[in-house]
Amino acid sequence: MSQSNRTQGGHIDRSKTLRFTFNGSRLEGHPGDTLASALIANGVRLVGRSFKYHRPRGIFSAGSEEPNALVELRRDAHREPNTRATVTELFDGLAANSQNHRGPLRYDLLAVNDYLSPFLTAGFYYKTFMWPKAFWEKLYEPIIRASAGLGRLSMQEDPDAYDKGFLHCDLLIIGAGPAGLSAALTAARSGARVILADEDFRLGGRLNAETLEISGDSGADWAQATVAELSSMDNVRLMPRTTVYGAYDHGIYGAIERKTDHLADGGGKPRQVLWRIYSRRAILCAGATERSIAFGNNDRPGIMLAGSVRAYANRWAALPGRRVAVFTNNDDGWRTASDLAAQGAEIAAIVDTRERASLAAPAGAAVSMGTSVVDTKGRHGLKGVALSNGSTVECDCLAVSGGWSPNVHLTCHQRGRPVWRDDIAGFAPGPDLPDGMRVAGAANGSLTLAAALREGHEQASAAAGELGFSTVAKTPPAAEDEAVEASAFFHVKNDGPRAWIDLQNDVTAKDVKLAHQEGFRSVEHLKRYTTLGMATDQGKTANLLGLSVMAECTGRTIPETGTTIFRPPYTPVPIGAFAGRARGKEFRPTRLTTSHKWAEERGAVFVEAGQWLRAQWFPQSGETRWRESVDREAAAVRGSVGICDVTTLGKIDIQGRDAAEFLNKVYANGFAKLAVGKVRYGLMLREDGIVMDDGTTARLGENHFVMTTTTANAVSVFRHMEFCRQCLWPGLDVHLISATEQWAQFAVAGPRSRDLLRKAVDPEFDISSEAFPFMGCGEVSVFGGTPARLFRISFSGELAYEIAVPARYGDAMIRALMEVGEEFGVVPYGTEALSVLRIEKGHPVAAELCGQTTARDLGLGRMVSKKKDCIGNTLSERSNLNREDGLSLVGFAPVMRNDQLSAGAHFVSRGKPASTENDEGWMTSVAYSPELGHSIGLGFIAGGHERMGEIIQAADPLRGRTIEVRIVSPHFVDPEGERQRA
Amino acid sequence: MPSLVANSPLGDFRQEFDGLEVAEVTGLAIVSIATPHGREAELAGAVLDAWGIEFPPVGASIESTAGEIRILGLQPGQVFALFQRDDERPAEAIARKIGDYGYYTDQSDSWAILRISGDRSREALERICALDLHPDVFKTGGVARTVMEHLGVIVLRDKDDAFLLLSARSSAPSFLHAVVTSAKNIQ
Repeated sequence: MSQSNRTQGGHIDRSKTLRFTFNGSRLEGHPGDTLASALIANGVRLVGRSFKYHRPRGIFSAGSEEPNALVELRRDAHREPNTRATVTELFDGLAANSQNHRGPLRYDLLAVNDYLSPFLTAGFYYKTFMWPKAFWEKLYEPIIRASAGLGRLSMQEDPDAYDKGFLHCDLLIIGAGPAGLSAALTAARSGARVILADEDFRLGGRLNAETLEISGDSGADWAQATVAELSSMDNVRLMPRTTVYGAYDHGIYGAIERKTDHLADGGGKPRQVLWRIYSRRAILCAGATERSIAFGNNDRPGIMLAGSVRAYANRWAALPGRRVAVFTNNDDGWRTASDLAAQGAEIAAIVDTRERASLAAPAGAAVSMGTSVVDTKGRHGLKGVALSNGSTVECDCLAVSGGWSPNVHLTCHQRGRPVWRDDIAGFAPGPDLPDGMRVAGAANGSLTLAAALREGHEQASAAAGELGFSTVAKTPPAAEDEAVEASAFFHVKNDGPRAWIDLQNDVTAKDVKLAHQEGFRSVEHLKRYTTLGMATDQGKTANLLGLSVMAECTGRTIPETGTTIFRPPYTPVPIGAFAGRARGKEFRPTRLTTSHKWAEERGAVFVEAGQWLRAQWFPQSGETRWRESVDREAAAVRGSVGICDVTTLGKIDIQGRDAAEFLNKVYANGFAKLAVGKVRYGLMLREDGIVMDDGTTARLGENHFVMTTTTANAVSVFRHMEFCRQCLWPGLDVHLISATEQWAQFAVAGPRSRDLLRKAVDPEFDISSEAFPFMGCGEVSVFGGTPARLFRISFSGELAYEIAVPARYGDAMIRALMEVGEEFGVVPYGTEALSVLRIEKGHPVAAELCGQTTARDLGLGRMVSKKKDCIGNTLSERSNLNREDGLSLVGFAPVMRNDQLSAGAHFVSRGKPASTENDEGWMTSVAYSPELGHSIGLGFIAGGHERMGEIIQAADPLRGRTIEVRIVSPHFVDPEGERQRA
Repeated sequence: MPSLVANSPLGDFRQEFDGLEVAEVTGLAIVSIATPHGREAELAGAVLDAWGIEFPPVGASIESTAGEIRILGLQPGQVFALFQRDDERPAEAIARKIGDYGYYTDQSDSWAILRISGDRSREALERICALDLHPDVFKTGGVARTVMEHLGVIVLRDKDDAFLLLSARSSAPSFLHAVVTSAKNIQ
């Protein structure tokens, strides 16, 4: 019968029916149900198999602490393993499957592990399966791995979308139970900006699961009224389905909001949003988690936390059993018995470990005081329990209440340690809370409803007061203090059947004792050795039980034994949520030059240069190999004229009365005397004398310079100069602003470049060699009045210019330049040809300015001025940087003309083996030179300038190639530099 | 001889969503004004004479009464002037107006400008902007430099429910994607 265990009442919407499947069985539930409550309503008891022994398991709890009821949710690539049925909101069409079994759930083949359990105790893999040695990796480990574990990944890319975001508030209230709602109400009415977050989809916490009253109303009604009031206030943000999973520095909290997990179809919207919440104050109202008691065979389906059984009955009108026994060590278990009886369950027995109890038992319940449950029966579901007094009780559900543990997790995320409280037999938050955090209610160890409401109110008043808000209401909502007396009883001592401590990891009391016997005394070691408290539930229901057994073994108290460290996240957060939308191409931004669209139209092949996409070459029809395109482009520049987009180079606008002096200090070579209208090559050193960057700087006016940097170092050079300006020489009047984005800049290079530019630059500007000589610069206009800057500089070694126009004209400019250049056979060239041309000229780039080389190594030692002070000049004089046998940048040509050089090859003298001790330097850059018709290279070699003509080996063990090369001048083309001055 | 036609970084993008609109703003000139050491008062005086407004502190902007210019306080010693761009050389236009009291750099082509407006604009920006944009904290006229999705952004709240976002021109398509994704994700 459908929903055979459904009773009356509850916070579910019976007017709608939701259909779902579990292991293919078609079942029904209602809005307001979780998957777990719907399964219980349908009488499903067996929901999974345990981690190691494959024991049958049922639903154990009603919240995020669930160790057993983990399912695989959704299908195909959307499949998510290890989803807790207890917090999965039911939706129409939900499909869930149990996990961790071979064959059907009911007849799991790997249940044989349970019979092998003597061989599978804690740390068994350290002690067994040792021989033969070779079998471990090939046989034992794969078998163990295959039989252990939880759910299966889909092994496909996650098709769901995720997002991130940032929130700010005066007061973050974590948890919307009685303490959280009371705190939120007080804080919100004071006018403070409040965020109230709760992991549940229905706010109210235990008020929805219990029958206590507040101010004369049912707790659940009060919660709904409070939520309604809060949601009407502009200064309140209610965040249901949101878990605050971590407490970080400065009042920052991590939270995961489940946006569409409760919908059959999320419509492509982000499934979850990871929030970073900046709070001025926070109040932790995370409640408490009930713990179990360890006794023989305490893991059968039907054995559940008592408060959870109560929650299923009250909130979801779903009875986990018809004949329920209660095993408790505290008053709360008795309240469970009363509530269940009121919902129509038969209370078979109340078994209390204490001698006396203050509450009355429901009618008909047999009460056994000073008694324990020692064993249970029922393979696939509980059938009865055996008591320490020798009697047995027939029942289909055992509600176990071992007391409540405050959810102190977030109080400990910054190394805070909880403190033991005898009255609740549990750990409560210690004094060293994260900055700005307060704790209220059960999370603070105040377990009664009245105390929760009072503390929520008081803590919110105090926090709001600290922030300058005044509280309106002076008293908290009224409620009674229910009986909560508890005793410290954690496990039933006997030598009989195994007693489970950690259900998720199949850790028993014997395992803890064994770990102690084998010398694991620290609680952290205990955790690692036994896996107690690991995996998705992080031992929320298990840790204290484990500690109690450990304490007993060591003869210490539980507080002396201590707890393991609590770390974020409080509950599992999908990796996808941490990635957010930063996937694929969206992982980082892309920067495009203004000629990008035009280059795309011409079929350019692009390369990533940092965030930039640059045209690498422009293939023409008939060209099948990249070298054909590159050779053609490089030859065209040497033969006529080519155009290359050089926008990506960093451009820094430098102005101020002391701009020249500033440049004189940051560059190794002199700039103070650079004339207006001139450009100079500049070399920048780090403080330690190593080369930082190079580029050209143009003087546009007396107090106005424009610096170019390499593409890669545009940001770091700007940052360095800001540091110099603000911290080293704050007295200088100098101002920097990036102009990289402002100008679209094109290199126009080749013997016909001037001819081409005469057709672009407006005729009133004389760009003849006399009027506009090499290393000249000036402001001009192009194509009838568009402002432009012209620099006569050359990277290729040819007669060449760089011309810049405001970026809005970049696209039009490249098209216009190509149009007017047509008569000269202009070609666009990409970064590969640019590289060929500069290698032919021996110009260094990042491969040579690699953060290890000095100006002297680069053959630019004379540029480091001795006449002035500049960054790096003193330390550049260190003796080790000036050794006679130091590295020199020189050229290399293959001895066998057809040999190809390879970058990264290391130089070794002829006749010596290619080993580290014979290493004399390395090849930094290579290219095929169309001009020379063979491969050429640049590289550093010890004493290079003294070794011109020497033949050495270029060993490239990585590619398995060693060839002979001749040391030559790095200036392969036009060594005198006549072309660029033409 | 061909003449050059300007284009905007985002092709005059405009899209409406439920509760907000994202649109490219074109036609604005942006000129950086740096204050020479020791001449702060003179520059402020020149600005006051020219447009009748004070020099804004960092984090604030001041618009002239006639609305022809808004000055954004960006960092000590540096402001941005935003005004209608009707001159190919806006830095020189500023120099003509207030004289040789500052160092001027044209930034009009350095930035793509998006306006995000409407009731839900703040909700969309929550997904990418770490700043607190609550109107009590980030008031109308407020200016801040921040980072969204790895991109530097200048945020100006020019109306109660409208923000001007300036981000680098070269990465403008990535920035637009970030903003539009945020708008879509809250729908």
